[in-house]
Amino acid sequence: MARFHDLEVTDIHKTIRDAVVVTLKPINGAAEHFEFTQGQYLTFRRDFDGEELRRSYSICSGRDEGLLQVGIKRVDGGAFSTWANQDLKIGDTLQAMPPMGSFFTPVAADAHKQYLGFAGGSGVTPVLSILKTTLAAEPSSRFTLVYANKGVNTIMFREELEDLKNLYMGRLNVIHILESDAQDIDLFTGLVTQEKCALLFQHWIDIENTDMAFICGPEPMMLGIASALRTAGLNDSQIKFELFASVQPGRARRKATSSDAARSANLTRAAITLDGATRTIEMPKDQSILDAALGNAMDAPFACKAGVCSTCRCKVIEGEVEMAANHALEDYEVEKGYVLSCQAYPLTDTVVVDYDQ
Amino acid sequence: MTDDMSIESYLAAGGVLTSPSNTPPRYRAEVMKIMAIFVDSELAGAAGFAELINAGPGIRDRMAAAQIVFEKTASAQRVLTLMGEFGADTDRYANHHPWTTRLPRDADITQGRGDHDMRLSVFNSPLIGWADAGIMNLLMGHAATVQLEEFSQISYQPLAEAFRAIILIETRHTELADKGLANLLEHKPDAALQDLVNYWWPRVAASFGDEASQKFEGLKAMGLRKNSNAVLKARWQTAATALLAKHQLKPAS
Repeated sequence: MARFHDLEVTDIHKTIRDAVVVTLKPINGAAEHFEFTQGQYLTFRRDFDGEELRRSYSICSGRDEGLLQVGIKRVDGGAFSTWANQDLKIGDTLQAMPPMGSFFTPVAADAHKQYLGFAGGSGVTPVLSILKTTLAAEPSSRFTLVYANKGVNTIMFREELEDLKNLYMGRLNVIHILESDAQDIDLFTGLVTQEKCALLFQHWIDIENTDMAFICGPEPMMLGIASALRTAGLNDSQIKFELFASVQPGRARRKATSSDAARSANLTRAAITLDGATRTIEMPKDQSILDAALGNAMDAPFACKAGVCSTCRCKVIEGEVEMAANHALEDYEVEKGYVLSCQAYPLTDTVVVDYDQ
Repeated sequence: MTDDMSIESYLAAGGVLTSPSNTPPRYRAEVMKIMAIFVDSELAGAAGFAELINAGPGIRDRMAAAQIVFEKTASAQRVLTLMGEFGADTDRYANHHPWTTRLPRDADITQGRGDHDMRLSVFNSPLIGWADAGIMNLLMGHAATVQLEEFSQISYQPLAEAFRAIILIETRHTELADKGLANLLEHKPDAALQDLVNYWWPRVAASFGDEASQKFEGLKAMGLRKNSNAVLKARWQTAATALLAKHQLKPAS
């Protein structure tokens, strides 16, 4: 299982009003764990009011830049991103897991490829890493970036992209699509939809000779672009997605507790929520929650039944259970009330568990 | 930009998820099950085949068998690594179950799973010799190709990519089995081989699962399935029938 390591903040600067670029240096012997591939992300953890939050942010530096940088855009109500934008300073220590993710394809010095990147807002961070790495490593390849933003003042890395265009003259093309700011060409205003992509493919983008497309942005935008790419003849293995961080689960709610009065000997009343429906069953305390659910014809998920795979994970909302073994859940998940239902035996006379959280 | 689309409607519209942190609970569970079924089947399949390497009539047959064992184990490892990203303890997982265990040869044909692993039921039947392993590998190899083609389109991108790579390897295994069968036909009477086909055909057919599965629509809405069990099974029957005919064999009636 991946572990967290310490990273020191060596630089932090704003790229637009509400987004920062944070440069990190692994410390305490962690350097070997932070070799990254373009397009990967780091998962950070931090305690907020006694509760651990984990958030993933994409690396925006290229592989050969000798830098580890992530871009963090402030999200309304987002505890971690607000803190990173307002309070994080040079010299602070962050904790992160080694780089993860597979939003990349291998680069080869002798490749002659045409790449197409689509980014919406802060979805540009991994795409920037990919385009910098690719243009540096493949001197004969070209990259076109279609970059969607609300307006000119929300374009992350705008100047850096201009510099890159000059550095890789003729090999990097950036098309800015702005939702609300008018541009000289009507096509470059509005949202990046399937229809807009189809129009771009007519005159602005050489789609026939595109080898690989990368898309990172909000869900509807990714769907529209992917449809347009498929219609234009690309197959699934030529389209790489990275889903926006916006869908990461929000703040966990507090665990409810109930005062359990009467303790009966060996039976528990278990309320089990699965696929939106809740059923209450009587079960013996020497039976696992999973077996009780299965025994009552509920389609509870499981695979190994040995406490190692975590397929059967559920959350205890009320009451107490005890796990016989746990090789898959981490401490912070257990603190939030998650258990492996194949290993969970009720201790209290009533328990409420939820497979849908 | 509207980015308030729910994950459910995103998936229903053909969206793709890219990391464990994006996955809703039921989706997570179903992807984990698909991965566990694959890993357990590969590990059990490789374990069964390993015992027969030395039954190969020639050294090239043994090399082919050893290669199949090695590559199936490597494919299991590849998918198990993805399970690890969801939290599974991969070292323990690889050893939590004895993958060589089998039921008696004449056990009833079911689609059910054992209590402690998720291998496809066909991998609970024991192999009884080189020719038997060859027939099983040929029939199940084709079934695996059909099943992997289905799963290489699923909405969990890392797994779809893994399956797209694995499908090439599995197809090669089937080609090896096809060559092996041609060699066998030179030495073994057709009738004996037809008996083996008759044994494995219904067991491989059962690995396509319940034709009246209630879960299909839900899985389809999550982008985890496209074609029903019945469609996939029919696809396999057609391909496998043609292949057997090439060797003057036929499906079990």
